[in-house]
Amino acid sequence: MDPVNAEEPTVRMDERGLVELDDSIPKTSKIDGERAELDAREMTTRKINAELRWLIYEQGVRDVTVLNPSARHSLGTAILARCRIRFEGSLGYFGCGLIDGPEIVITGRVGWSVAENMMSGVVVVEHNAGSLAGAALRGGDLVVKGDVGARTGIDQKGGTIIALGNAASMTGFMMQRGRQIICGDVGPGLGDSMYDGTIYVGGEVAALGIDCIEGEWDDSDTELIERKFANHELGKPPDLRKFVCGKKLYNYDSLEPSERKLVL
Amino acid sequence: MSGAGDVREPEKVVSIDAEYLSGKRFPYQEDISLVEDIDLETATPGKDLNWLEDVELLEEEGTPAVFDRYSNSFLRIYFPIPEGRENEIARKVLMAHLTGGNSYGIRLKAKHAKFPQPELGPWVEGSAVVGADWKPPVLEGWEPPEH
Repeated sequence: MDPVNAEEPTVRMDERGLVELDDSIPKTSKIDGERAELDAREMTTRKINAELRWLIYEQGVRDVTVLNPSARHSLGTAILARCRIRFEGSLGYFGCGLIDGPEIVITGRVGWSVAENMMSGVVVVEHNAGSLAGAALRGGDLVVKGDVGARTGIDQKGGTIIALGNAASMTGFMMQRGRQIICGDVGPGLGDSMYDGTIYVGGEVAALGIDCIEGEWDDSDTELIERKFANHELGKPPDLRKFVCGKKLYNYDSLEPSERKLVL
Repeated sequence: MSGAGDVREPEKVVSIDAEYLSGKRFPYQEDISLVEDIDLETATPGKDLNWLEDVELLEEEGTPAVFDRYSNSFLRIYFPIPEGRENEIARKVLMAHLTGGNSYGIRLKAKHAKFPQPELGPWVEGSAVVGADWKPPVLEGWEPPEH
């Protein structure tokens, strides 16, 4: 029986409801030389991402402003070119994941897993981020100017995560390389089961995770912190403590060569 | 092993390097002058080395090498590396490899990329776009099972 007020759906999805079938590119952005403005208000996720790729890969655009992202999920993913993207608003989950090269600013908030698996580039979030920010980060800088949720930088294999606010529990869980700078307080389980990498904390640590210990500060730490704060115009860095892996749980030398490569 | 007869273990390659994948050695692996002029900060996003900060000089089977994450292989360096410049030279050799399109992962893109992307990645401006017309491979004689 047809439902009351049945209307023709405007977006055709696959049988599972996961993939929008129409992969045509809207080509509605306003382009001015190397700059473009994309109004996402009437577009679906697939259309927005297709439009972004078309602008950057095929139209030679190097600076895109996306209006009305409306907290939709998975926007700005898999952009594999040097460019600048500015989202005027908030993003949902998995925003700007799998990128390689872009420098992205998000003026609002983001859901979980922002910049997950970033290979290179810069992602700046002007407000808060959900859990799993920078999950499996491989390289580049993720800057969150507010608070971050739980398991920030889980499985991080490179790059730098900076949070000006607080971080929730299990920050740096299973971290393997890279750096985190948390300026505020962190919840319990900091650096739990980390293999390597460095976590700097400015506030209180609720509890250290398994095999996470306080490390000795040296000149390279000062150089890193001052450089990153200057690059991102974050002002004067707070006094920070350094946390590293105690190396009681894991030893890379005993791993198979193929496993060693996974973290390089 | 009992009952194994003449059955032997297949050769296991545990250290696949860039030369093994490409079948040749590249000039910048042997001549430092070919990488000296590479500007690493220009080659990377942001105001510092960005992702290259995590790239360091390593060793593969006793030879200095840099890891190419885009092909999951080591790129060996055969020229003498000046003391104190180990990581810088490793990064420059890697950038020469990537921008030259010689990384095995890049060479696979034209045939296997499933969505449009620059062939040479983010390192080369104006690189050709590949992957715009990917079609799933068809195995001759195979029919999808009835569900």
